[in-house]
Amino acid sequence: MTLITDFGQPATIVTPLLMVATQLMLTYWLWRALYAHVHSSAGLTAGQATSYALLGVLYLRFRAQNRWPNGDAMQQLMLDGTIAYWFVRPVSPRRYYLIRSAGDLAYGGMWGALGYGICLAAGAVQPPASAQGALATLVTLAIGLVVLYYVQLCVDLSCFWSAVNDQTVIAVQFVVNLLAGAFAPVWYFPGWFQRADEFLPFQASLNVPLSLYVGRLPAGTVYREAALQLAWAIGLGLVTWRLWRRAAARVTVLGG
Amino acid sequence: MAAVAAGGRPRHGAGRLTLITVAAERWQAFRRAWRVALRISGLNFQARLQYRLDFVSSIFLGIVWQSSVLVFVGIVLTRFPGIGGWGAGGVLLIAAIRLLSHGISTVTFSPLWWIGDQVGEGLIDIYLVRPLPVYRQVLLSRFPINAIGDFAAGLLLFGLALARLQLDWTPARIGYLIAAVIGGVGVEAALATLLASASLLVMIGRAPFQWLDSLLGSFGNYPLRILPVPARDVLTFVIPIAFVGYLPAAVLTSRADTTGVAQWLAYGAPVVGVTLYIGSRLAWYVALRRYGSVGG
Repeated sequence: MTLITDFGQPATIVTPLLMVATQLMLTYWLWRALYAHVHSSAGLTAGQATSYALLGVLYLRFRAQNRWPNGDAMQQLMLDGTIAYWFVRPVSPRRYYLIRSAGDLAYGGMWGALGYGICLAAGAVQPPASAQGALATLVTLAIGLVVLYYVQLCVDLSCFWSAVNDQTVIAVQFVVNLLAGAFAPVWYFPGWFQRADEFLPFQASLNVPLSLYVGRLPAGTVYREAALQLAWAIGLGLVTWRLWRRAAARVTVLGG
Repeated sequence: MAAVAAGGRPRHGAGRLTLITVAAERWQAFRRAWRVALRISGLNFQARLQYRLDFVSSIFLGIVWQSSVLVFVGIVLTRFPGIGGWGAGGVLLIAAIRLLSHGISTVTFSPLWWIGDQVGEGLIDIYLVRPLPVYRQVLLSRFPINAIGDFAAGLLLFGLALARLQLDWTPARIGYLIAAVIGGVGVEAALATLLASASLLVMIGRAPFQWLDSLLGSFGNYPLRILPVPARDVLTFVIPIAFVGYLPAAVLTSRADTTGVAQWLAYGAPVVGVTLYIGSRLAWYVALRRYGSVGG
């Protein structure tokens, strides 16, 4: 439905695609310029770092849809009271949120895959380090997206207990993206930052899959990384299940 | 009060006014306009201040929004010998000048982003009948608190740049830095005003403004030497991003001869910014004269 709507209004997709294209080009030129006189840094070669950065741009742009312009973000639904409809539909709000998120991911994934294909064909992104690395990337990426889904759900569910505004959501998303390695590979950060980040679920969503893809992490580490990701996914899943139950018991809409 | 010059036969009209009196009247009108603008801005600011958490989070968002630049330049760049022949300090200076300009420009000119909404709602028709220029009313329609965060991020980057650069900050350098920030404001304001002028004639929405902001944020923080020559030329002579931070930083760090543009152009970056803004205002007036209400 989103695809049909967007193709009916080309302006809604042309501008974001142009923004992504320029971001990809700049990222490519930036990293190539950085490595002009350097062979390796933080365990990454020029090709590895450039591939990581470009895939990070695609991930950032396409992993979630921005529902704010449509007034369809959870926080906005709470403000105008229409969140109440979620609890009277024949589909439970938890399942509705899941279906909606899955749709957003499928739509964004389509564009992300297209971008990946173009970057790969253009030689800007290297192919996976190995077939095992490619498989490990897909597995950890899938689990990482589940982890990220639950993290986003926690932020959205918090609006049932506090008046969370769009700026707070954006600030939280920035922190998540930073810790996931979306702005720059986590490998460049100081050691204390990397060690602290290991205790958090965010790098499991992006840094791990991309590091496996470019070969910074050997494919054999997929079992340990996937186990950590699964642990986070299960833990966050239980937390959000509990939060949904409590939210359903208390639907407080601003305005009474 | 107007004064009638002494002497001469009675003529048609009110009589000649002295130049000094005209200048005094214009100065009074200028001061009145500024008083009104500052009062309206103050009211907008107070309105935002009523929601303390929203106010603080807006400033924090401004800093956060620019933090990807801070992360890249402050963390990644320090691991490398430089980029495009520029050291980390020089790149920090480019980003700092750009962000300082961006912060000031956002506070003043970012309300232009919403002109499409104002045209669609017929607000421009109301602005036309008020005793205040339409352009000024659009600028005063809101106060973007997040710009304070942008400016704060610029100050932080500037501090980091100073720590890394070994520059002798003479009065001439300080004066040029201030002029460069003003010129950068002029460039961003000119681009926004041109888009706003187009919005008066055709419905372009907010997407082009976001696109422009993305371009400035993506390319404005780094030495354009890292780009292929065609891209460099586009970002210098078509969308003049180079004049915001890159060329002024090149002048301040005594490498104006390495930018690929004429040195006089690099030194004149502040003048270019102001000139572009004046040109954009002319475009605005032309567009406003041709404005047709959405109601027909």
